Amino acid sequence: MSESPSPPRFPATRCPDCSLLYGHEAYVCRECGSETFEEAPLDGNGTVYARTTIRVPGSGQQGKEPFEVAVVDVGGAESVRVTARIEDNPGVGPDDPVEFVERREGVFYFRAA
Amino acid sequence: MNDVCVVGMGSTEFGVRDERIKELGITAVARALRSCDIDREDVDALYLGNFVAGMLEGQETLAPLVADSVGLSGIPTMKTEGACASSGIAFRQAYQAIRTGVHDIVVVAGVERMTNAETPEFTRALGSAADHGTDGATGLTFPGFYGLVLDRYMYEYGATREQVAAVSVKNRRNGASNPRARFRSPVTVEDVVESRLVADPLRLYDCCPAADGGAAVVLASAEVAESFTSAPIPVLGSGHATGRSAAYRYDDLTTLEATTLAAEEAYDAAGLSPSDVDVVELHDCFSAAEIGDSEDLGFFEKGEGAAAVAEGRTAVDGELPINPSGGLLAKGHPVGATGIGQVYEVCLQLLGEHENQVDGAEVGLAHNLGGSGAVSTVTVLGGPSHV
Ligand SMILES: [Zn+2]
Repeated sequence: MSESPSPPRFPATRCPDCSLLYGHEAYVCRECGSETFEEAPLDGNGTVYARTTIRVPGSGQQGKEPFEVAVVDVGGAESVRVTARIEDNPGVGPDDPVEFVERREGVFYFRAA
Repeated sequence: MNDVCVVGMGSTEFGVRDERIKELGITAVARALRSCDIDREDVDALYLGNFVAGMLEGQETLAPLVADSVGLSGIPTMKTEGACASSGIAFRQAYQAIRTGVHDIVVVAGVERMTNAETPEFTRALGSAADHGTDGATGLTFPGFYGLVLDRYMYEYGATREQVAAVSVKNRRNGASNPRARFRSPVTVEDVVESRLVADPLRLYDCCPAADGGAAVVLASAEVAESFTSAPIPVLGSGHATGRSAAYRYDDLTTLEATTLAAEEAYDAAGLSPSDVDVVELHDCFSAAEIGDSEDLGFFEKGEGAAAVAEGRTAVDGELPINPSGGLLAKGHPVGATGIGQVYEVCLQLLGEHENQVDGAEVGLAHNLGGSGAVSTVTVLGGPSHV
């Protein structure tokens, strides 16, 4: 795993008026009210803030359990916090390093780094 | 500003009920009206909290239907929704209306029917309180949200799984002697930590059960309150705040700001501090939630809530009894009825009539929370001598 190439960039966006960075989509900047955003890709390395394993899923996810959901801080000096899926690694926990894999159907996927 | 009192109250048992949603509301409201000496013609409005009757039972327009069925004709009615805080919000709106002189007497109800739903409909309905675009899309459930909270809490503060399990043990013990509770049997720490995992590190016995139920109170301005009851319960303070919309929006997942903001407003309005509170009914939808709530409400320092429960400090005979009713973990969580159900339990304590009576309870607090910490209401109530 340590020999793998650096992970893909993370597709963050930025408010051009006040520079606030967003991970999940924003439609209005909560700082300044701007409605336009520009692409601001980040380094895909991240850190787990908190993690859970869903064993009793909600509607639409039946049969896919168990799966890991985590809150992840992604990026380098500048980072954003997102709610994401961790692929296939129930062992990760707070402060463990993860890397961005891809965004699929609106969901960010990370894996243990 | 007019002072506001609870002058009447009624509740159904919480659990598995056969009645439809409207009938649960009717029963609760009728019992509240019967508990005080009030003419139906004197009631100015009815506010009703409900979360998912539309989705699960296809029944909406609940507030006017309940009002008409109990003989409250012609008055303005409305339904409030804020997931698990739906009826806490109804209470707050009624309180504001009386406080500002818009109304003198308002009936507030909370009602929910959940146990009849098939699992897919049930999970879809509950999941509707999450933000579909962010948390919801990842498959994060409500137990999952509190799984994240507990994961971070244990990591940051070194709390043990056994300490957290003590919440469920305490609340199930309290619920055993509450006839309104869905679960009436106690559990042990071993039962909790060996129950099946639901959303790590949360297990089955860390989670509240669904339930059906209704609860109602009658609120009146202090000026007229004593004509309806010899023991009005004054509302000393009320708070209502919005929090974060999803798990990633928290800088610190162990503090839910909707609660801290609502509590600050309620304490300020009451001119009281957390140390003045004698008995608490707070939103223990999960064991982890009770620990966080107890800190957010100012009863314990950050990180000390778990040890406090394990040491018995929040037991009925402890220094600050929390959820002597059994809480959501034992009473059950008929989502839209929960907030008024909590107020009902606190009022019984202040009247000295509770099955798990806290000695000398003079100031009580009810705390209701909805969604992933998205909305909270806090109500501080006083004994009849505070009027
Ligand atoms: Zn901006």
